[in-house]
Amino acid sequence: MRRFRIHTVALAVALAPSAHADEAALKAELDALRAQVAELQAQMKQLRAAPTNVPPAAQPEAVANVAAASAAAPAPAAASATTLWGYGEMNYNHPTARAADAQADLRRAVIGFSHAFDEATHVYGELEWEHAVASADDAGETEVEQLYVEHALAPQYGVRAGLMLVPLGLLNEHHEPTQYYGVERNFVETAIIPSTWREGGVAMYGSTDSGLGWNAGIGTGPDLGKWDPAAGEGRASPLGSIHQELQLARARDPALFAALNWAGIPGLGVGGGVFAGKIGQGADFAGKDARLLLGEVHARWQTGPFDLSALYARGTISDTQALNLTFLGQPTPVPKAFWGGFAQGAWRALDWNESSLAPFVRYEQFNTGAAYAAQTLGPGTSALPTEKVWTAGINYYLNPSVVFKFDYQDFNRDDAALGYGDRFNLGIGYQF
Amino acid sequence: MYVRWLIPIGAGAAGVAQIAHATQYLTVEQAQRAAFPDATAFDSVRANVDPAAVGAAAGWSPRIWQARKGDKTLGWFFADAVIGKSELINYSLALDGQGAVIALEVLEYREAHGGEVRLAPWRKQFVGKTSHDPVALNQDIKNISGATLSCRHLTEGVQRLLKLREHALITQPVS
Repeated sequence: MRRFRIHTVALAVALAPSAHADEAALKAELDALRAQVAELQAQMKQLRAAPTNVPPAAQPEAVANVAAASAAAPAPAAASATTLWGYGEMNYNHPTARAADAQADLRRAVIGFSHAFDEATHVYGELEWEHAVASADDAGETEVEQLYVEHALAPQYGVRAGLMLVPLGLLNEHHEPTQYYGVERNFVETAIIPSTWREGGVAMYGSTDSGLGWNAGIGTGPDLGKWDPAAGEGRASPLGSIHQELQLARARDPALFAALNWAGIPGLGVGGGVFAGKIGQGADFAGKDARLLLGEVHARWQTGPFDLSALYARGTISDTQALNLTFLGQPTPVPKAFWGGFAQGAWRALDWNESSLAPFVRYEQFNTGAAYAAQTLGPGTSALPTEKVWTAGINYYLNPSVVFKFDYQDFNRDDAALGYGDRFNLGIGYQF
Repeated sequence: MYVRWLIPIGAGAAGVAQIAHATQYLTVEQAQRAAFPDATAFDSVRANVDPAAVGAAAGWSPRIWQARKGDKTLGWFFADAVIGKSELINYSLALDGQGAVIALEVLEYREAHGGEVRLAPWRKQFVGKTSHDPVALNQDIKNISGATLSCRHLTEGVQRLLKLREHALITQPVS
């Protein structure tokens, strides 16, 4: 810009006297001006590159072991506009009472990417393969786990649109295997909060200088029309069985979600969130008026070698009485209430070079059918018993990005159909 | 009825979209003056150090200034960058003449995730640290849940600069 101005001034100065000068004189004058402009440009370049001094400025002195720089050192190289990351995990589960059910699985392999269109606008995506092989004859899945555009409107807040992770709980948004203890994700954040839970929509996010982060949006929700009363999936995870994952999602009824998290004290994080909306999706069936309300609160405290966390989540589905009447005689009606909570303590017992060894213990209770709508005929459905699980094990971090896991899980109630039963687990996970 | 929700959200988003979106929180000059209000000069210097000696990648070259008041050295000021999760975080570190941290500032931050490293209480953990402290996440520097990668990479960046000062600048006589 400045250079342009100098050229303009030079041209104006050059042209003004030219009307009264002969050609040779004009040429000489132009040459002189060119030389002056070049000199000015060189001076400006030097000024720009010179060290920033607070007046009165002093010249840098050569000092021992430190070379006085004639020009400022180059700025740090800019990151590429497009970046890739990824994570993956391989698990082995061995039920102690049913060794024949032991299973090894490439649970998931994920490639993530982001691209910066400009300083304020990014696209983020995650592509995932589950269970190693996905084809018409195999159990594996290929999925787009997240894909959204994010635009920062100001340093403190912005807007996102696309397929986004629902901002509930500790795990859903931070589900890489290096981020949690134990081979398997905790039950509360799989059975009650169906991680990895994502919906399509628009959200605004932001944070304050006091450490309060917020995220609120509107988007798609689960589809109660997908409920299968004959299968066990609704008992394993009520919302996991009817989430839509933006796969030709029925979207008559938008859902609202909001989350608040506070990180004002280093090491401590507390927060909570809600997700609410009609889930009949406008279809003409007995569950058309059903509404979902799911709320959770959580806390995590990392201090010294200790990492303590706790979470409680509770969900309700209204207006299920008529729908469950149509499911009479089938094993899995729609629950009116479901809940779960856990407390977990981990201790980084050993730390050497980049490696660490962290034993942990977690206790959780959860119930995917804590209450059912009363029926006008018959005794109705009685609540399921509450499952209680102790998990104890070790996360061995070869480095912060690679983890080997071992744990043992003790269930108070076996349920082979849902895979509940005492077992030990082995796992490998990585993140880059 | 839900359409009613969409109207204010859309209108609100359109309104705030008009606001400029700088990601720069502080300039280098502002951070220098905040850390060394008495300085009369910031002399740009270059450290003769092999990046590998401080655990940095080849080509690493943070900008370094010596803060002076007249002939007296007040300390050192560094401007560097690390990757957060996928984007650069530009930051500055001010050290006193003895090599202890005066201030860590996040100058520019570009991604929504992990932005909590900007919080003053988190950055204050570094004040007073020297190259003799571990300056390691989950040891003497507490993590922010959900911002682990940004916390870790920034902590490693500070550790490198403390080592750089120890290796390359420590022989500078402090008057």
